[in-house]
Amino acid sequence: METLLEILNDIDDTVDWENETALIDDRILDSFGVISLISELEDQFEVEIDASEIVPENFNSADAMWKMIQRLQEN
Amino acid sequence: MGLAYHTELYLFVFLPLVVLVYHFSSQKMRRAVLILAGYLFFWSFSRWMVLYLIAVSGLIYGAGRWMEHLKETGRARAKEFHSKERSAIKKQYKAKEKRVLMAGIIILLGILAYLKYCNFFIQNMNRIAMAAGKDFYLEPQKLLIPIGISFYTLEAIGYMADVYWGRIKAEHNWAKVALFLGFFPQIMEGPISSWKDTADALWECRPVQSQNLVKGIVRIAWGMFKKIVVADRLSVVVTAIFDSYTDYHGVMIIVAAIAYTLQLYMEFSGCMDIVIGSGNLFGVDLPENFRQPFFSGNASEFWRRWHITLGAWLKAYVFYPVSVSGLVKKWNHFARKHFGKYLTKMGIFAMTLFPVWMCNGLWHGAQWNYILYGMYYFVILLAGEAVSPVREKVLDRFHLDCKALYWRVPQILKTWVIIFTGEMFFRANGAAAGFHMFRSIFHGFEFYRLWDGTLLGLGLNAADLMAAGFGILVVAVADILKERKLLNWDKLQEMKFPVRWMLYYALIFAVIVLGAYGTGYQQVDLIYAGF
Repeated sequence: METLLEILNDIDDTVDWENETALIDDRILDSFGVISLISELEDQFEVEIDASEIVPENFNSADAMWKMIQRLQEN
Repeated sequence: MGLAYHTELYLFVFLPLVVLVYHFSSQKMRRAVLILAGYLFFWSFSRWMVLYLIAVSGLIYGAGRWMEHLKETGRARAKEFHSKERSAIKKQYKAKEKRVLMAGIIILLGILAYLKYCNFFIQNMNRIAMAAGKDFYLEPQKLLIPIGISFYTLEAIGYMADVYWGRIKAEHNWAKVALFLGFFPQIMEGPISSWKDTADALWECRPVQSQNLVKGIVRIAWGMFKKIVVADRLSVVVTAIFDSYTDYHGVMIIVAAIAYTLQLYMEFSGCMDIVIGSGNLFGVDLPENFRQPFFSGNASEFWRRWHITLGAWLKAYVFYPVSVSGLVKKWNHFARKHFGKYLTKMGIFAMTLFPVWMCNGLWHGAQWNYILYGMYYFVILLAGEAVSPVREKVLDRFHLDCKALYWRVPQILKTWVIIFTGEMFFRANGAAAGFHMFRSIFHGFEFYRLWDGTLLGLGLNAADLMAAGFGILVVAVADILKERKLLNWDKLQEMKFPVRWMLYYALIFAVIVLGAYGTGYQQVDLIYAGF
């Protein structure tokens, strides 16, 4: 989770990543934000995130992203 | 033409009859009523081609079930093995699923492409042959295109992709798929909905309720107001200038571009009001397609507010799949090492936005000006991203607030110029005519044309212009109230009884008194029904 927060803070350190729960709905992360984030996550966590995972529920909060990463790592 | 949403036949005969039969049927029968109404609606335009819609429903139902079967078999087989082999088996079955999905998409897109683009291809081949001086000519084919094919094809592909991705379960009841694709208010012009948006609500077939009836009828009246008070009048001006574009220049071309943009907005969003209102009668909330587009601060925001469901579809099924494709990933790794962050990002923008805007242009039809329209937005969005670091620096350096009016208003006005120019190319009679019109803006501007009577020579008298102007003003005020969150369709229903009903009566009265009909007016076909 800490690595994830580091990546997120690297993208923008003015966002309260730990507590935001509507990153997509409030457009804090836009579609290009999401795709650049995906490539970072894939490199760091050695997972493959395909298009089916790109839904607001997986990216609205750091917690949701972390759950998605763990799920993909288990597969 | 057929049972188009703005015709008396639809509004005063077909729709009330369907509501009536629906109301007196049991829940199970209501489903059948809606499906049959959909096919009857389709029949009114395209006769036996209704079989195509039924076949598409069958195709995606079958593809969904097949993919589900593969998912289950793959899962069961994977359980029999250890972890390494397990993932190989999962991959093997995913690949099989992908083949089913691709076959489904190829069939649907193949038919769509053949019907819509075959003649475009033939015409261009003939042109090239003629330019090269070759004795070669292909006869254009006489093709009949089933109504609304561009809309339900996208819904059908969305359904299959969602099943493949595991976002939804494959539907086991064919009739539910048939209703999802064939709900009559959506057939002709969308909104393009996803399975999650509407399938369950449609299948539920709620009983008719008086508040839904009022909500639906008012929404339909609002749509008719936009269509026959404003759009049908502007259509006269637009046709006059665009069809004889060589006779006009300067300010008159700008008038044409603005008039067409307003016509298209009033017409398409008005039609969506009729469609969504029709859905309301059956207790269904269809997705919204417009959200005050003229308040957009840039082109990308405009496309999140204009024809929303097309943008959302392209984002989900073109933009994201391309953005996680091998090619983009390879570029990302390679470019970051060699070109730095900015160029890497711009490369990704170009690679992902190009297919989206090519598809957007082509989706509208087989004409060069539609492709040009798509590429126009591709270039503008790419340029917008290219200068975004500079914009950030300016905002930061001068401590500007991008939400303040002094920043927001010029941004909105800039976006208007982008929108009007884009729609001018979109409407022009061919790409060459579009360029001609654009150039002629700068030849003899002649501002005085606005008040020297030229406007009155375009087919509308002063009273008509005033009625259209009044209509635009009313819609603008409604949009401002919606944008400032002071009014929406739910809030309207919560207003005090006398105020609410006074507004309803005023609206219906305005449609009757100010509507453009009678001698001298022809009913104008719905623009988006042609796409």
